[in-house]
Amino acid sequence: MGRRFEFGYILEFIPKLLDYLQITLLIVAASIALGLIVGLIVALPRMYHIPVLKRISAVYVSFFRGTPVLIQLFLIYYGLPELLKGLSIDASKVPVLAFVILTYGLHSGAFISEAIRAAVGAVDRGQVEAAYAIGMSGFEAFTRIVLPQAAAVSLPVFANLVIANLKDTSLAFTLGVMEMTGKSQTLGMTTQHFIEVYIALSLIYFVVSMILERLFLLAERRMLKYQPELAGHTSKKRLLQGLFLPQFKKGGEQA
Amino acid sequence: MIKLSGIRKTFGKQEVLKGIDLIVEQGDVVAILGPSGSGKTTLLRCINYLERPNEGEVAINQLKVNVKRASKQDIHTLRKKTAMVFQNYNLFKHKTALENVMEGLVIVQKLPKRQARELAVQALEKVGLGGKLDEYPSRLSGGQQQRVGIARALALNPEVILFDEPTSALDPELVGEVLAVIRKIAGEGITMIIVTHEMAFARDVASHVVFMDGGVVVEEGPPHQLFGTPKEERTRQFLKRSIQEWSYSI
Ligand SMILES: Nc1ncnc2c1ncn2[C@@H]1O[C@H](COP(=O)(O)OP(=O)(O)O)[C@@H](O)[C@H]1O
Ligand SMILES: [Mg+2]
Repeated sequence: MGRRFEFGYILEFIPKLLDYLQITLLIVAASIALGLIVGLIVALPRMYHIPVLKRISAVYVSFFRGTPVLIQLFLIYYGLPELLKGLSIDASKVPVLAFVILTYGLHSGAFISEAIRAAVGAVDRGQVEAAYAIGMSGFEAFTRIVLPQAAAVSLPVFANLVIANLKDTSLAFTLGVMEMTGKSQTLGMTTQHFIEVYIALSLIYFVVSMILERLFLLAERRMLKYQPELAGHTSKKRLLQGLFLPQFKKGGEQA
Repeated sequence: MIKLSGIRKTFGKQEVLKGIDLIVEQGDVVAILGPSGSGKTTLLRCINYLERPNEGEVAINQLKVNVKRASKQDIHTLRKKTAMVFQNYNLFKHKTALENVMEGLVIVQKLPKRQARELAVQALEKVGLGGKLDEYPSRLSGGQQQRVGIARALALNPEVILFDEPTSALDPELVGEVLAVIRKIAGEGITMIIVTHEMAFARDVASHVVFMDGGVVVEEGPPHQLFGTPKEERTRQFLKRSIQEWSYSI
């Protein structure tokens, strides 16, 4: 099992791994952006009860919430090109990274759509009625009144999602993507100092998670400045959840 | 003039409004009284189509909206001509008092921001909240929130303001300040329809009083007549009960 533990390797590995942090962050940022778009599109038919589309959305959400992201990666990476071949589209030159971003985007889209649905449902009906009563259109009422309030209350759930997504990206190495975890594999192989590499790797993930957590907390305070007591409450709850229930609750139902 | 003709509304099997006719003249302050469940809120909400009536016509001056031919545009116009003050205020939670009042002016009436701000400040000063412009609703008392709600309606300069029990969610000690504000703007000639349980207020402020029960208008008339010499037995019963409750609560 590799060579004897040497602390110095940890310090040596950290900068080497950090070179690949940008790939990890790129996957997170791109897939969350994609997930937001997909999530909103998928949430709409269920919020407005549009027949058929509503069903398709529900199936999509159950699939991506109910299967492991690793399997989703394999299915999309190996399955999608086959499917496209059937439509005589050649996907062999598409970079692996695109498949990875697509998978994580679709995966978080499912969770984000549930978060949007829950948050929009939590906005008091009276808010929309007041908007209609002053003469706003449905679109104006949704974008100016409902969405800002929904976004503010769903920020803790969204923060959990982004951090979970960050950790999930570590699975991309299974398709040979050179992000941080992928790099750690090769570093481990070449030096035979596996433990040191994994300690360095987990330190980086941990610090990045902490930074994200702090940033979201600040954002939440800002967005909930209209109801500061709510901000304190949810973030405290979230910290506890983060400590004790890191994997079980990724998003979706709140309240 | 506002004219409601043959307004009917059913929820499921229950007929809540059974053909309401009502005329409100320009500058009138109409008080609607009636036991709870008699359809008062539903009637107000049919006027601005927060509820779509099953039958009937709502006319505000030149604009006539019959439910059979009510287009989206008609409903939108109807809502722009009316404003509503809600029982539980329904202020936009994520906006300050000033932003609450400006919202309709900027987004619906498309006024330039500066002009909207001026009008909003004026309206808030009128309800005595010139010092609370930048407070969020969560930091205001119920009475203050409802006064912002009134300012939000007032600033739009609508042809009628609909009040749905504006003081019934308030602690007793806060009722007075809100009634005082309504009384003040009633004196300025704005047309108002007010659903209320405040009998003394209705008697003093209204120019016309309507008594509803079981989805119909039982009796209507000037306040001295309706309170002094009610014709219908049901009105007498209701007034007797309300005045008893009212004196017990003192
Ligand atoms: N959205 C609704 N769905 C079903 N029933 C309703 C709805 N709104 C009101 N009702 C019913 O209609 C009746 C009249 O209600 P409402 O207009 O609120 O009376 P009021 O304001 O005079 O107390 C009540 O029996 C109430 O339960
Ligand atoms: Mg009512």
